[in-house]
Parts: sequence; structure tokens; C-alpha cells
Amino acid sequence: MTFKDKIKFVRQNMKKNRMRIFMTVLATAMASAFLIVLASVGFGLHDTLLKDIMEQDTINEISIYGYENEAEYREINDQDISYFETLDNVRSVTRRNYLAQAIHYQINGFELSNEYSESQFVHFPSEQKAGMTLAEGDYPSKANEVVVGYHFVDQLLPTGLDPEEVYDEQGNRNAGTLFTEDIIGQTLSFEIEKYDEDDNVETKAFEVVVVGVTEEPSREWAVDTTIYMSELFQQEIEAFTEARNGNPYAFEVTDQEAERTYEIVKIYTHSLQQVEDLTTHLSEENYYAYSVANEIRQINMLFSIAKAGLIFIGTIAVLIASIGIFNTMTMAVTERAPDIGIMKAIGANPKTIKQIFLLESTYIGMIGALIGTAISYLISFAVNLGIPLILEAVFDDQLPEGLKFSSIPWSLVAIAITICLVVTIISGSRPAKKATQIDVLKAMRRDI
Amino acid sequence: MITVKNLSHHFEMGKKGQKTILPVLHDINFSVEAGEVVAIIGRSGSGKSTLLNLISGFIRPVSGQIIINHTEVSTFTEAQFADFRLDQLGFIFQNFQLIPSMTAYQNVELPLILKGMPEKDRQALTKQTLARVGLGQFHNHYPSELSGGQQQRVSIARALVLNPPLILADEPTGSLDSETEASLLDFIKQLNQELGITFLIITHDKEVAKIGNRTIELQDGKLIEGGQLS
Repeated sequence: MTFKDKIKFVRQNMKKNRMRIFMTVLATAMASAFLIVLASVGFGLHDTLLKDIMEQDTINEISIYGYENEAEYREINDQDISYFETLDNVRSVTRRNYLAQAIHYQINGFELSNEYSESQFVHFPSEQKAGMTLAEGDYPSKANEVVVGYHFVDQLLPTGLDPEEVYDEQGNRNAGTLFTEDIIGQTLSFEIEKYDEDDNVETKAFEVVVVGVTEEPSREWAVDTTIYMSELFQQEIEAFTEARNGNPYAFEVTDQEAERTYEIVKIYTHSLQQVEDLTTHLSEENYYAYSVANEIRQINMLFSIAKAGLIFIGTIAVLIASIGIFNTMTMAVTERAPDIGIMKAIGANPKTIKQIFLLESTYIGMIGALIGTAISYLISFAVNLGIPLILEAVFDDQLPEGLKFSSIPWSLVAIAITICLVVTIISGSRPAKKATQIDVLKAMRRDI
Repeated sequence: MITVKNLSHHFEMGKKGQKTILPVLHDINFSVEAGEVVAIIGRSGSGKSTLLNLISGFIRPVSGQIIINHTEVSTFTEAQFADFRLDQLGFIFQNFQLIPSMTAYQNVELPLILKGMPEKDRQALTKQTLARVGLGQFHNHYPSELSGGQQQRVSIARALVLNPPLILADEPTGSLDSETEASLLDFIKQLNQELGITFLIITHDKEVAKIGNRTIELQDGKLIEGGQLS
């Protein structure tokens, strides 16, 4: 008997009791939909979290916090930077230091206190290689040229303005409090301090020119008000303070602190896989290395466990539905016993009879799983559309953009259909075996 | 075509531990040549139906040998016998044994489907066979829409469709009136003469038995006439 004929035969048989088959398929579809929707929550939240991480600029980035072996702990120095640059798959090694003073910037009648911004000394060539891009302007070519963060201008306030006068009652900036001129070419003035052992302060005025503005950060909530200074300018400040990074307390600096070290060191690779490999390698070399790969690995592990748990709970629903399939198939075998007897009498092989009944239970499972999958997609769509609206209405709060409560990847559909098929085949196997054991003579006498 | 040697059979009756043996057939020996129409007659309980069921493979003999078309079938597994039945045997039953949810066409087509024949070939063969038994106009009729004689013709068409060398008939006229019975017996004779099909017919009716070239008579499970081995 060909497979096509078996399918035809199964479909003919199923038409004999449409209502019972419909109810069994419905139960299977509901169970399958329950499994998929339940697990889709795990997949949805996992996707959202991963997407959130991936959207960060830090995906191919490894942060190095220091070096420690059994003998010592130290910060990253120039030797380490040179070593990192020799490693395979390293695209760039950026190194930054904070200006070690609270600075009050003046710019054309406006001011910015260090409270709202930070000043960093950066190595611009490596930053460019790492992917730092400018929204406007150029990178510094002279010592007294700087790049400012995208939101730097927003933090400028007219000199001497009472902070309470900045915003109106609706929370909008009052007219005249915004710096409306082109920031490029503007001169920032500020003073650097230096203390001696008797706490006497000496100050020196510096001026830098803004030549560039960085790109807006990819994450909506991120605010970049940093002033990026070149290493050449760093040397000018250090020449005055006589200590690294403009530290005003040169007399307190130890020999070890006098060595050039870096507070923010980041290694950039070409891919996430290289990040993983390099992080492992650097950790083995006693560097404190951290990357998103570590976070992703932990998140993946956590969500894999959660998803497996949800699929397991969903499988219980499928197992309950399989009782219905078992019942339906047992009744089908009993009802069709005379027909099976006739078929066996004229030469149907027991294997063929078994295959027909197994195919029927599989067919029920497959239709149920497919309908369940379609229902799941509808529910998933409704959940993603409705739940944010409900939550926003109830909690009066904006949910993060791109938040997905439910996601149904093909792998989940494949898992659900496989579970459905395996369970339905198992539940149909006993009735199918019973069909092969039907006694021809009893069946033809209608004794079964 | 058929050789039965030293065939004995009994049924075990009752519950486990309290079983009694009910002997049915004792040391049966006979043979049927190809192209013969042989009638097995006997009273009710003589063992003739059991003999046919043993030859058909529906039950297994306790002892003895059954050889059909040079193949010893008494040692076959259920699956082997099923394949053998499909290839070598046709069946005509007293109660026709048609599948009620299938049309005349589908009932006749069933052995061809089991054989795995392509649909196109099946169509031609099924139509041809139904036409041969005079039911060319009844393709789409269900068994319940046909008379007893017509149902038996569908049953014959189903037995014939794979062109088996041997047809086993169990009381083929048992459910028919005398007029239809005569017509059916004529048709069996015609098939035997035209196609050379061997028929082994079980009947209690001596008039029906006259259709045969030879008669084998059973009484209380023993063969009392026609038991020669070739």
C-alpha cells in the first residue's frame, strides 16, 4: 500500500466521525497553543534582553580593569596596551583617563559645571579605529582642541542663572536658557588648580576650542556630556600640576602612581565570537577582563533553563490532550474492527494496518499542532499589542521601546510540533497494535 | 493446487486451568488439482468451515501440512500469510463481507490498493472487473444499496480483481434466494472454465455441491469421501 493511499484511507476514515475527530484535534490544538504561548514568553523576554544588549555599542568590546597575579595588583599601563595591540583579532585598544579635578567651564556667556559633565583624556586614533564617530566637526589636530559629547550643549546654562529658572511649569526649557549658537569653533575657558603641602592653591587658566561633536548614543536614555581632550593637552595640564591626569595634589603622589596608567581600557574585536575567545584568553593571563559575552552567556544559560521549564509545563498539557487521542484511536479501532477483519482476510499485512492507525493519530497530532501554532501566533500578536497598552494604562508609565512579551521563533514551533507528534504517536501506538491483533474470524462475525 | 496432509485440529475451550479440548478435524488428507471446482460438504459441526479457515490461514493447525501452489503455508507467520492471501487467494464469504462505508468500486479496488498498484492501473482494472460481474453501472453504490446477489457479485469481483489462481468460497449462496443462487453458480462455473481459476467451495447444500467436479465430504471432523491424495 503506497503512502499516498494510506493518507487517503486515513482521511476517509476520519470523515466517518467528524465531531469526535474535531474535538480531539481541538484539544491537541489548545494544548499545543498553550505550550507555544507559554514558552514564547521566555523566548520574548530573552530576545528583548539580548536585543537590548546587542544595541549597545559595547557588543564587540572587552573592558580591562587591571592586572593581578599572586604578587601584585596594578592598573593597566603602556606595556599592557602594547601587548593587547599585538593580540590576534584586536581591532583597537582605547585608553582613557579622567581629568582629576572638578572643572567649571565658561563658554560665551554660558557655563557648565563638572557636576553635569566629565572630562576625559583620550587617545583619538585608537578611538577612531574603535568606531567613535562625529555628528559634526573634526577630530582634534592640535593640543588645545577638544571634542564634546552629543548632549554637551543641552547642559550649558547662562552664567549665574538660578537653576530653578531653567524650566517652566510644563518642564520645558525657558527661552534664553538654551545655547543656540554653533558649538563648533567655540572656546571653552576653565582653570586648573594645584595645591602645595600647606594647602596653598595656585591656579592656571586654560582655553580649548571645540572642533567636533560625537554621534548621538545608540541607546535612547544615554546622555553624553563628556569633554574629550587629547593626550597632548593632557601633557600640558600635567606640566602644570606636576602629577598625572591633572591631579592637584602632586606632593601626595607615590612613585607607583607616577607611572602612566589608564583608568578606562577597552579592547575592540571584529565579532562577538572573538570577544568571547579573547576574554577567556585575557582572564587566563590574569587580566580583569569583562565583556558582554560573559553577560550574554549567563543570560542564555538562565533563559535556557527557564524556557526548558516552560516547555516542560506546556508538554504536560499536550500529554493530557494525548489521553483524548488515545481514547479516540481506541474507539476508532473498536468501531472499525469488522472492516479491519475484512482487510486482513483479503490480505492486508498487519504492518499496514498498524501504519494506517499510527498515521491517523499522527495526522490528528499534526493538524492539532498546526492549528495550535496558528492560534499561538495570533495570541502572541495580541499579547505584544495589548499587554503594553494595559500596563501603560494601569501603571501610567512608558514601557521600554521594543519590549516583547512573547516571541515565537521557528525553533519553538519545531519543538512544539515534534513534542506533539511524539506524544500523539506514542498515544496512538497501543490502539494501532490492538488493531493488528484483531482476530479475523471474530471481526467478520462482528464479535468484537 | 492444494494438498492437505495429516491435518488435525482442535479448539481449547474454557478458562485457563480448566480447559477442555474439543477435537474438530482428524487426520485429513486430500488434494485439489489446478482448475478443479471442489465442493466440501458436511453437516453443521462437521468441521468444514474450520478446514477452510485453516487453508485460508485465519487459524493455525495443531498438526499436519497445508501446501498451496507448491508452498507450505502451515508454517507461515501472520504477515507472511497476509501477503500470500493477497497474491494467491480470493475469498467469497456467505455474508459477502463488504466494507459498508465503501462503494462497490472502493470495495473491489481495496486489494489493488493493498497491493500498492498505481491509481491509473487500479481504475482500469476495477472498472473492468465490475463490468465482468455485471455491475458496471453500480460503481458508486454502497453495499446497503445493493441486493444480496449484487453484493455477492461485488464480493466475487473483489476476489477476482487480482486474478488469483485459487478462490475459497464459504457457503457462497447461503444468503441468496434460489434464483440468484443458480445464477451465481453458473457464474462461478463460467469463471472456472474461462479463467481456469480453482474453486474450493464449502457448502452444506448437496445441490450447490453439484457444481463441483468433485466432492469431499466431512463428518464429525473426519473425511468420509473424496480424500485421495494425488
